[in-house]
Formats: sequence, structure tokens, C-alpha cells
Amino acid sequence: MLSRHAQGVLLGLAGVACALVAWTLLSRWLAIGGGAINRLPPPWRVGAEILAYARGELLVDLLHSLRVFALGWLVGAVCATMLGLLLGRVKALGQVFIPVIEAIRPVSSIAWVPLSVVWFGFGLTSKVFLVGLAVFLVVIVYAVDGARRIPPELDRTATMLGMRGAQRFFQVVLPGTLTEVLIGSRVSLMAGWGTVIVAELVAADSGLGAHLIAVQQSYNVPAVMATMAYFGVTGFAMNALFSVAERRLTPWVPRGEDTR
Amino acid sequence: MTNPRLRAVLLPLVGAALVVAIWQATVVLYQLPMVVLPTPWSVVKTLVALPGTAMFWRDVGVSVFEFGAGYALGMILGIAVGTLMGEWRLFRMAATPVIESLRFIVPFAWIPLTILWFGTSYVGKIALVTYAVFFVMVVSTARAVLHVDPLLSRVGRVMGMGAWQLAWSVHLRAAAPTIASAARAAAAVGWIAVVAAEYIGASAGLGLMITNAASSLATPAVIAGMIVIGLIGAGVSAVVGWITRTHLDY
Repeated sequence: MLSRHAQGVLLGLAGVACALVAWTLLSRWLAIGGGAINRLPPPWRVGAEILAYARGELLVDLLHSLRVFALGWLVGAVCATMLGLLLGRVKALGQVFIPVIEAIRPVSSIAWVPLSVVWFGFGLTSKVFLVGLAVFLVVIVYAVDGARRIPPELDRTATMLGMRGAQRFFQVVLPGTLTEVLIGSRVSLMAGWGTVIVAELVAADSGLGAHLIAVQQSYNVPAVMATMAYFGVTGFAMNALFSVAERRLTPWVPRGEDTR
Repeated sequence: MTNPRLRAVLLPLVGAALVVAIWQATVVLYQLPMVVLPTPWSVVKTLVALPGTAMFWRDVGVSVFEFGAGYALGMILGIAVGTLMGEWRLFRMAATPVIESLRFIVPFAWIPLTILWFGTSYVGKIALVTYAVFFVMVVSTARAVLHVDPLLSRVGRVMGMGAWQLAWSVHLRAAAPTIASAARAAAAVGWIAVVAAEYIGASAGLGLMITNAASSLATPAVIAGMIVIGLIGAGVSAVVGWITRTHLDY
């Protein structure tokens, strides 16, 4: 009798194997006469490309993309935190400007790509702007929420302890806001990473996205799929790293299942 | 200014007016050329003139059609597979690694491949939206169905329901509110995937419209196009919200 865990692993492997077999059969079948999709390489050719890319330019491209991502993410999160504190704590400002931000939010950062290229050209600045905007638009909601909703019992305790002014801000309001900002930052990870991809595809001068466009233009389907795999792996790794960091930084927040 | 409802209407208007005033003042003070930042007024003029052109309606029609077809397909497939994963433990265990590893390849990374496979036709965009919507729906449907109150399942079984009937008339219904909110998130993701795909390879559509405007340095048209994209996105989300609200009124 297998344990439940072993059973899960075996079934998972079976599922992956089934998917690979289906992919191989599909690539065979499409090679004969697949119509539109006549270029589906079998899995091992994609695997060979994944290894070849890792030995080649991968590190350079990946570092370019990650630099854009990290800079944009930092800029977006810091701006959102400061503005969120201001709009969340100063009621009049909040009432005036939060609706304006709410009106801008439906225009996703992706829709800003052409304008950003007009403003900043094809270089680093325009990509950092776009990623920063993507992160900002997500995190601002959490920051305003965190700054506004200080739990009433904490508020009363602070009053009882005689906290006021700066002390109250640094001991009660700021930690409360930052906890929410951290959640928002994790939610915005994928939005930011997706924006890096689109920005690099459009303004293809460096990074994984530029590599993707380059191999696409030489009709190298296995290399295209290998690059996509690296995008997925990087996104997954960032998500996993951040979840661990979040648990370390805010151990007091109750976490059931993954909330995303 | 004591009436709170009056305040709730007036203050946002003040905010909007302030933003427009700062925008106008920036253009005037720094004497920015139209290419860098047009005045709010010229953007409004372009926006008003847009619906008069046939090209505009063709672009809107193509984008909305690509989105709508992909969204419908992705919803049906996503909810079906998600329900199957929630109901059938063996299938869930087998499918989870595959779904989880594909889920992290965001739809945008597929754009170059869909162009290689389908060219600049709308089939590629429909496939892309289907992919984007499918993964949002699979993950949340499976989780929602799995977490239905076990008491409801027991009641269903006592009433003599079979597995299919239980899934259809108990589990899916109990999971419906979660699925509805996922449907709105999926609409936002899908709409933006269409626009992004049209940047990179398309023969018509709103994404192409604003990249063309940008490369001919018609910045007022770029900003007007962004506003249209935002409005349609908000409209789609409102329609999905309205449909789910009117059909899920329990």
C-alpha cells in the first residue's frame, strides 16, 4: 500500500509523462500535415535548446531582464507606499486623489508601452518606467488600505500608552501599512514580470524578451520555446523566493493556504 | 459642503480638475512639443474625432471579437477542467504538475510563438486569450470546488445524487461566487493580452492602432487610444460583473 504522498508523486509524474507523450505524438502528426502549426518541435529538441541557451548567452540576458524588473519594482513599490501613506492618512487628500488613481487603474501598464517609448525611447528608462507603473498600480491599493485600516484595538492601545505624533506613526501606522504593501508587492510580482516581457518584446534591445524576438525572427521554434521556459522558471522562482521572504518578514500574519 | 454625498461627487471632480490643470501647466511652462506631451484639449479633440472614422470601428471590432471568442473558449475549457480537477482526485494529482508549470509561463511570453504558428491573423490572438483565461479559471475553479463545505456534499449524497449531479448542481453552485470573481480577473488579463499581442504582430486592432500612432509621432492619438483601451477594459469588467450578479442572485 502506497502512502498518500508517494501516490501523489507517482501520479504527478504520470501526468507529466502523458503530457510529454501527447506533445511528441502531436509534433509527429503536425510534421506530416498540420496546416497552421507545422512547426512544433518534439520535447527533446526544446530540451537541447534549453541546455544550449544555458551554456550561451542566458546569464547576460537574464541579468538584463532582472535588472529592469528589480529597479522598476523598487521604484513602483516605494512610490506607492509613500503616496499610499499620504492619501490614506490625510483624509481630504484621499478623497480628492484616490478617485483619480481609480480612474487610471483600468488602463493597464501594458497600454502605456507605446507612450513610454515616445517619452523615454527604447532604453532602460522606458522599461523601468513601465514595470514601476505596473507595480505601482497594484501596490497603491494595498498601501492606501493598510494606512487607513489600522485595527481599532491597536489604535486604542496606542492611545492608552500615550503614543502620539511621530511615535504613533512609526510604531503603529507604518508597520501596518508595510504589512499590506508586502502582500501587494507579491501580488504585483507577476504583473511586473509580465510587463518586463512585453516591454522587451516591443523595445527589443536587451534581455530575455529581445532574445525571444531574435530567435522568433529566425524561425527557430525550439529556441523560442526554450526561452519561454526560462521566463516561466524565473517567474516561478521569484514567486517562491518572495513567499519565503514574506513569511520571514511578517511572521505574525496568519497564513492559511496560498491566498493567490 | 456639509452634505457627504455632495462631497463624494465634488471632491473627485476637484482632483480630476487639479490633475488636468497640472498637465496643462506642465505643457505650457516647459513649452513641450505636441510629440512629447499634447495638451489635454488636443487629446479630447482626438478622442471625440475617433468614432467618426471607419478605421477606428474596425480596430475596436477586431480587438473585441478576438477577446470575446478567446474569453468564451477559455471560460468553458477552464471551468470544465477545473471542475474535473476539483472532483476527481486522481486527475487532480496527475494534472497539477503540468498545470502549475505552464501557469508560470505568462501569456505574453507566448506572443512570438503564436505569431510563428498563426501569423498575424486573429486565430493567434484567440488562442492567446483562451490560454490566459484558461489558467486563471482552472486554478480558481479547482480550488473553489475542492473547498465546498463537505456538509453540502453529504446532504447531496443523502438525497441520492450521483457524482455528476453532485458536481453540477451542488459543487459548481456553491463555488459560483469564487468562480465569478475569477471571471472578472480573467477578463482583465485576457483583454490586455489582446492589446499586447497586437503590438507585436497584427493587421488590425487597438494595439496596432496605438503603436502606429506612436511611430508616426501622433501622441494625442496614442493617449486617446489608451483611454479607449481603458474604457473597454472597464466596460468588459462591468459587463462580466453584471452578468454574474444577475445570474447568481442567491
